[in-house]
Amino acid sequence: MLYELNDEQRTFQKKVRAIYEREVSPLVEEYERKETFPVQLYPILGKEHLLCLRCPKEYGGPGLDKVSECIAVEELNRICVGIGAGIMVHGGLATDPILHYGSEKLKQNYLSPAVRGEKIGAFALTEPNAGSDASGIRTTALRQEGGYRLNGLKTFITNGTICDFVTVAAYTDPSKRGVGINLFVVERDDFGFSVVKKLKKLGNHSSDTAELAFDDCYVPKERMLGEEEGGGLGQLEQTLKSGRLTYGARSTGVGQAAFEAILSYVKRTKRQGQPLSKSQAIRFILAEMAMTLEAMRYMTFRGAWLFDQGLASMKDASVVKLFCSESVQTIVQKAMLIQKNYGVMMDNPVQRFLRDGRLSKIPEGTSEIQHLVIAAGLGL
Amino acid sequence: MDFELTDEQKDIQRAGREFALGEFDPDLAFELDREGKSPDSLWKKAAQLGFIGIYYPEEFGGQGFGFFENVLLTEAFCRVDSGIGSALSFVDLGSEVILTFGSKEQKQRFLIPVTRGEKRMSIAFSESEDPYDLSSLSTLAEKKKEGYLLRGEKRFVANATLADWLVILCKDSTEGWITLVIDRQQAGLLIHPLEKLGLRMIPFGDVALKEVQVGLENRVGKEGEGLVQASYGLQGMGLRSAAQALGTAQGAFDRAMGHAKQREQFGKRLSQFQAIRHKLADMAVDIEVCRWLTYKSATEYDQGRIDPQFLSMTQLEVGRRLVRVVDEALQIFGGYGYMAEQAIEHYFRDAWVIGVDLGTEGELRDRIAERMLG
Repeated sequence: MLYELNDEQRTFQKKVRAIYEREVSPLVEEYERKETFPVQLYPILGKEHLLCLRCPKEYGGPGLDKVSECIAVEELNRICVGIGAGIMVHGGLATDPILHYGSEKLKQNYLSPAVRGEKIGAFALTEPNAGSDASGIRTTALRQEGGYRLNGLKTFITNGTICDFVTVAAYTDPSKRGVGINLFVVERDDFGFSVVKKLKKLGNHSSDTAELAFDDCYVPKERMLGEEEGGGLGQLEQTLKSGRLTYGARSTGVGQAAFEAILSYVKRTKRQGQPLSKSQAIRFILAEMAMTLEAMRYMTFRGAWLFDQGLASMKDASVVKLFCSESVQTIVQKAMLIQKNYGVMMDNPVQRFLRDGRLSKIPEGTSEIQHLVIAAGLGL
Repeated sequence: MDFELTDEQKDIQRAGREFALGEFDPDLAFELDREGKSPDSLWKKAAQLGFIGIYYPEEFGGQGFGFFENVLLTEAFCRVDSGIGSALSFVDLGSEVILTFGSKEQKQRFLIPVTRGEKRMSIAFSESEDPYDLSSLSTLAEKKKEGYLLRGEKRFVANATLADWLVILCKDSTEGWITLVIDRQQAGLLIHPLEKLGLRMIPFGDVALKEVQVGLENRVGKEGEGLVQASYGLQGMGLRSAAQALGTAQGAFDRAMGHAKQREQFGKRLSQFQAIRHKLADMAVDIEVCRWLTYKSATEYDQGRIDPQFLSMTQLEVGRRLVRVVDEALQIFGGYGYMAEQAIEHYFRDAWVIGVDLGTEGELRDRIAERMLG
């Protein structure tokens, strides 16, 4: 058993941190304020080989493993969770299913440009009435001459207004709950596809979130993932597993950012004539933050390593997601409390870490869903 | 001991709730919150209906009730909207210092316009990030023939760009503490507005006092009494924040209950899932704890026998339970809870600012321990 990153991984970590600090950090404040995603980042990160990290080399991708991806995700989210959201969906939920189930042509058409940052991907599963209960989606894809006609409404879609293509889940056979579902690649210019509205959120302000409508949207058969109708939600198993592990790294990244901010604050601040670092209560809080971050990081890397070995179960992924997304709450909350009125000021990133970190408990399976998955994994 | 509200108190509570339900439009709340604007028209209406300064005697424009009744109103308002409710409960912030320590002339001059919705007040005590920290103040009031010349800087002042009058704590040339009421618009006062996470309808700012002249008639009470007065004012602020917290927790809970009863997933309402039922049960317990701690503190405050240790306990417990309730309410809403279209989104942000206004856990524990251990 090895519990440390190897030299190659450390070099990679240093490299990505330098790139993100150079390319992403200067954009954060402006795009958080504007509540838009800095789309110019896509080609820049594409050039740096930092998009779709696990995409194989044959489609132009870096072909890295899950551990490396988690290293990069933590570093990016340490700088900005909102920007991290767009990059994550692009390289995960939007493109993973194409990689796993798409035809060679689809891979060439979508993966290669996605890797270069020339096309931005989104993923649309959640609907107004179907969040945790993904089988409850109502979007249909009914067969038509040479293809399918999509009808339905999708919500909370990351990259929704900026995407060039969106991987959409819809029922090809609504009579088969959970099973009669297929994934389709819809292009932004497809007739019948539209952005209903952009959504404003508590946090992740620099990520783009939207409600999307499919109104008799015709998609040729070749843009269905998989040959057969009724691929089902099972097609998303690997993607969701991977996404939940990613959330471990995402939570660790924002937790690390809050920790670093508060450590520096405590070191430089005096309260009532005494250095804040002399307060035993403050020392205890920082000690617990450091402890929690180590646990989160090891959980995440272990999960990612299992995934790379092909050994990770859905339960393993849910354990990582639940532990990390819950643990980060204490870190960001304590960071707020230490700073008192400074903490709630908008020019202080600590309030952003609270808002951004709060998201972790919701997407890709709420904490409640993770509990259900873990319990099921125990054979209950 | 009687834990029932009187009929009169129930009437006040009902009147507050009806006013809030009738007037606090969710779209308006959303807009005011985003733009950081004060709910001016609602403030005027609330004053017309006698909701502002309800705890002042009738001769000073009030209704002759206690601060307890004011707490009931704040709770009722924040239950309907945490942002508007908190803003309305802060328009008279610090006036209790004048009410308790001021002269009759000062009460007429300052309190009556507050009840009429013509003037707003605030306090400016602290000079650090901790609103309760009075230990390291340097604002100086130099005594002149006709009054004082003020120099110093106050931090994180609520209503900084809005209040007509600020109650300021400072030291005079002989190191004696005094409180002065100053006009915000007067010369020598520089305000730096601050943008914050929540309670955005209450504008905060840092206030620099550069040779501000204050007449003797604006000194509250005696020389040397300032620290006692400010401590009393901070107790009033703590109670206001506790009442805001109680109403905000209740409002978040109401919304989570509504969502849980209506939202269906997996063919069942959320309210039928044990995990959600237990969350709601815990939240209900949290709110009861907040309520009775707050009510007890407010009752003692009215009886003039407030126990600072118990008030600190109230602030500590109400603060952490508020954050927990609102966080769980947001979680019950799932993705919707994270979206600004739902009121729960600003309840979450407001709760964190109310939490800071209540005082944060380290310092509150220090205060409780100080009382117990010396």
